[in-house]
Amino acid sequence: MTTNYPELFCAFAGEASLVLGMLVVLGYDLTVGRKRSPTERWQASCILGGAALFSALVVGLRVGVVGPVLGGEFMLDALGVGTRAAVLVLAGLTLMLTAGTARLRNPAEFVAIVLLAATGFSLMAVAQQLLVAFLALELASLSLYVLAGFDKTRPESAEAALKYFLFGGMSAAFLLFGFSLLYGLTGSIDTSAIAAALAAQGSSPLLSVALVMVLVAFGFKAAAAPFHLWAPDVYQGAPATSAALIASASKLAGLTFFVRLLWPGLGYATGDVALRHFSPGWLAVVALLSAASLLVGNFGALAQSNLRRLLAYSAIAHAGALLLGVMAAGTAGPAPLYFYAATYGLATVGAFGVVAVLEAAGVGPQIADLAGLYRRSPLLAGCLFIFILSLAGIPPLAGFFGKFAVFAAALNFGGLASVTGWLAFAAIFLSAVALYYYLRVLKQALVAPPAPGADGRIAVPGAAALALLLAALLLVVLGVFPSLLLQIFS
Amino acid sequence: MNMLQACLLLSSALFCIGLVTALSRSNTILVLLGIEIMLNAANLNFIAFWRFSPAGSAPATGVIFVLFSIAVAAAEAAVWLALVIALYRHQQNIRLQEATRLKG
Repeated sequence: MTTNYPELFCAFAGEASLVLGMLVVLGYDLTVGRKRSPTERWQASCILGGAALFSALVVGLRVGVVGPVLGGEFMLDALGVGTRAAVLVLAGLTLMLTAGTARLRNPAEFVAIVLLAATGFSLMAVAQQLLVAFLALELASLSLYVLAGFDKTRPESAEAALKYFLFGGMSAAFLLFGFSLLYGLTGSIDTSAIAAALAAQGSSPLLSVALVMVLVAFGFKAAAAPFHLWAPDVYQGAPATSAALIASASKLAGLTFFVRLLWPGLGYATGDVALRHFSPGWLAVVALLSAASLLVGNFGALAQSNLRRLLAYSAIAHAGALLLGVMAAGTAGPAPLYFYAATYGLATVGAFGVVAVLEAAGVGPQIADLAGLYRRSPLLAGCLFIFILSLAGIPPLAGFFGKFAVFAAALNFGGLASVTGWLAFAAIFLSAVALYYYLRVLKQALVAPPAPGADGRIAVPGAAALALLLAALLLVVLGVFPSLLLQIFS
Repeated sequence: MNMLQACLLLSSALFCIGLVTALSRSNTILVLLGIEIMLNAANLNFIAFWRFSPAGSAPATGVIFVLFSIAVAAAEAAVWLALVIALYRHQQNIRLQEATRLKG
């Protein structure tokens, strides 16, 4: 294989600009920024970081869909380019929210680590080779552990980061062990070569072990039950904007990475979940994870009184639906999954953004504390209305179309009387359960009168307001014109 | 039993030991130790497959993978110790049982 360096640089100029931006942010803060006030340091760091993200986005979109790069080690297809753009937008929204709300120390370090995480996500989106994929996953994960524990003044933050790391480190070990078995079985770490070798040699017990190990890591990354236990604690304890990044961009990049690995790479070991000719494979395991996540997420969320934990359980429920999209990607392609994950990410970033603004204004984390939000800050209440309804899947918001596309693809995948068909029906019925807990939040925010003593107006910082409005606008526009996002797949 | 099988048995045993350590210990440092043992079991797998398997006759893929994964494990250890120190500052010990502020 000859290495074509100009081609490689062209394809990864976006990542290069992210890393360069990280160094600039740190360097600026070290030389000029340390003499300034904390507010100015936050603004400068966030502007520099935002510029790096923006240039990476522009460069990535200009390169466009070019197919395999470096002999197939990377794949810049529609899914890869779309995921890259989406994670950069989500990271940019996170930075804007952070600029307005965070009162953390060390602004430059926070922004630099967000940029590193974005680099990891965007490499995960295009990696087709196990080694690069593993390194990208670890780059993103290690950055997220640090972001989760960034608030050194609150013990909850340290505890959340520790729990996140505990689960994440173990899932990384499982993934590495699974990769080592795949390498041993096929003699290669290239997804396409693995697929060819597996098709030639047939299934074996070792392959099943490797599959289970890889799927454990997948379940962790997607926060699917029974590997979801970290999610509520991390979403509750981490700084709000870190939680936003963990819940949105990390999930999207992880799903892209695994859908790439599972369908083209391990496509031979798919198995079949149709009733007449059931055969074991990863499809059956993913179906189990999906069913468990739908149940645990939706029923777990009913009992929550903390808004962040409620969002975490709703994330688990959404993971169940996203896994349906992973299964259906075999026939429908990744477009429905991508649309669902990207719009879910937007709504989650928005919801956590509202939480971040509220916490910066000293409003507590309980759902009951939202009472009277419509009077205290109509902007926040309106944005929260759009985000929550999009999470619940109410038309004409983007969340509805994502759900519709994924469920339709799942019903097409195996027909009505198959496991995927039943799961799609279960997901549709459980959406009614979900509506209950989502509307409980909205009732507090939009109907309940403000509690006595807590009815002052809430000031929304400019950058955060802009980010919230942007996310809400994108959700409405993508809900009305989903083809804007889906046309890259056609 | 040939050498490859012996290596695989050893690495599987190491992986299980690491998993049990990580799940059962309450001292966070020992949990990290368990995770590191699991990672190293995977590394041993890579080396064994590269060295003994006929399929692994390709260039030194397995060894390169191990080099990178050792570097990743080092980075993990650094982040883990930073987080352990952050926890220690708040609760004056590093026992996982006492890290129970978040639940519900």
